[in-house]
Amino acid sequence: MAEEKQLMLSIQDVSMRFRKEEDHSGSLKETVISAFSGKLKFTEFYALTHVSFDVYKGDVLGIIGRNGAGKSTILKIISGIMKPTEGKVDRYGNIVPMLELGSGFDMDLSGQENVFLNGAILGYDKEFLHSKYDEILEFSELHDFINMPLRNYSSGMIMRLAFSIATVVKPEILIVDEILAVGDENFQRKSRARMMELMSGGTTVLFVSHDLNQIREMCNRVVWLDGGTVRLQGPCKEVCDAYRL
Amino acid sequence: MTNIDLKRVGKVACLIYLTAVVLFTVGAWDRIFSASLFGVRFAWIYPGAVVLISLLLYFYLKHLRHAQEKGTKSAGLFFLQTMHRYRFLIEQLVQRDFKIKYKRSVLGAFWSFLNPLLMMIVQYVVFSHLLGIRGNVEHYAIYLLCGIVMWNGFNDCSTQSMRSITSNAALITKVYVPKYIYPVTKVLSASINIVLSMIPLLLVTAIYGLFNGLYLSKAVLLLPFGLLLMLIFCVGMGFFLSSLMVFFHDIEFLWGFVSTLWMYATPIIYSLSMFEEKGATWLVKVEQFNPLYHYIQFIRTIILERQSPAFSEYGICLAFSLGLFLLGFFMFRKVQDKFILYL
Repeated sequence: MAEEKQLMLSIQDVSMRFRKEEDHSGSLKETVISAFSGKLKFTEFYALTHVSFDVYKGDVLGIIGRNGAGKSTILKIISGIMKPTEGKVDRYGNIVPMLELGSGFDMDLSGQENVFLNGAILGYDKEFLHSKYDEILEFSELHDFINMPLRNYSSGMIMRLAFSIATVVKPEILIVDEILAVGDENFQRKSRARMMELMSGGTTVLFVSHDLNQIREMCNRVVWLDGGTVRLQGPCKEVCDAYRL
Repeated sequence: MTNIDLKRVGKVACLIYLTAVVLFTVGAWDRIFSASLFGVRFAWIYPGAVVLISLLLYFYLKHLRHAQEKGTKSAGLFFLQTMHRYRFLIEQLVQRDFKIKYKRSVLGAFWSFLNPLLMMIVQYVVFSHLLGIRGNVEHYAIYLLCGIVMWNGFNDCSTQSMRSITSNAALITKVYVPKYIYPVTKVLSASINIVLSMIPLLLVTAIYGLFNGLYLSKAVLLLPFGLLLMLIFCVGMGFFLSSLMVFFHDIEFLWGFVSTLWMYATPIIYSLSMFEEKGATWLVKVEQFNPLYHYIQFIRTIILERQSPAFSEYGICLAFSLGLFLLGFFMFRKVQDKFILYL
């Protein structure tokens, strides 16, 4: 190796255990009754077992696997939303998760107010948002509607606004659950280009997709999760070929 | 970790401290001069206490600067850094809650003034004229209004913050944000309403006073202390209720009942002297353990008796506030990692 690559993320021996209570109803009465009668049963279930991998600066890491392999769980653990049962994750940079667009939107507020609310939720600061506001507006093409409450927006308009806010930063680590192509054809092209630009711009990207062609196109390394464990990890081509078989 | 501007923090801290000292000194001037502590006139201790606390503040700021330069761990520094980092988010969430509350109403924030007033008129007519409960309470209308404003504030804060985690489930499962922020912002946005409802309270008192010889005194300067103490209590309550709510949705219905019970158990429409008249002095003793009684009494002393509450009252209120705050905080901290599994 010619140059030492900078470690951005280190996932060390992470396990995630879920306790599935038999038909948990979230009711105080039932919990108390079943606790007293000794019927409080748990079925334990590991979504992830001893998963370890490292991500270096500039990597575009693809995570592949079947449904229920633990892809979303590992993304949630990496972004800090969930705490792993065992193991730990070291992060060396700020993370912007793009797990679901517009989850912080409030339908009663105007588009402009939502830009600031959603931006704050994603961890941007005030000065940054003020300086980028025009760019967000420009990209979302919502000039005439920005002062209207969000409940009057079409779903396409909401997605356009959400995408524009989420991609205005250059984060050190970007977490993407499926490539985000939203809106009409024109906007899809634009958003795809924006994603490509983000991913090629030296940002470290973690990328989950079912589309192997996309993975091959974008990633340099791939982790294949199967039933909560790392089945194979390595260079993109190698893992993708193995996955296909 | 972002480096925060400790100089600015220091300036703000000094400014807050100075304001507090000025408000307290002017507002509680008579008490400071008349009260004695362990046989020593309080007036002698007071200047010393002010200097001592400012010295403590100075050394703590110095410690923080030292911790920042050396990179050592410090709970205070960590708290400040977190606050600095999420300041904008807190601001936005508070704004959202406040805007949403009156967004689609014609009168908007004016309802914050109007609501306690209307409540007071209804309750005044019902309890004073129809049922004749007023007893021997002087200035019953103002007595009632103090109680209503404080109770509504508490009820609003606790109910709002109880739902703060469950109603923000969409955010909590998608983005990492310290979860303490949600109940705290709910209390903050509800506290704007409490502060706004102080305006009709003072206004009505002033107008009422013109005809009945009840004038606002400089003790009004002490109102912020009473409100702050109650808000700390509310934050503790919010931590407690919101974390329970995640695991048991029953809490919402249970709280509806408990808060109604609590309201009637608190001397809002009646007064403790009625217990005494009926010979139920044990009820008077029980009320000493009701935090809301103390917070409401705090405000009433300021407005109706036109003087600072006794220093022991400050102590009792502070003990309740910090007690519940710490209890709620540690409980919240213990279970917060499990929220995501139940949302």
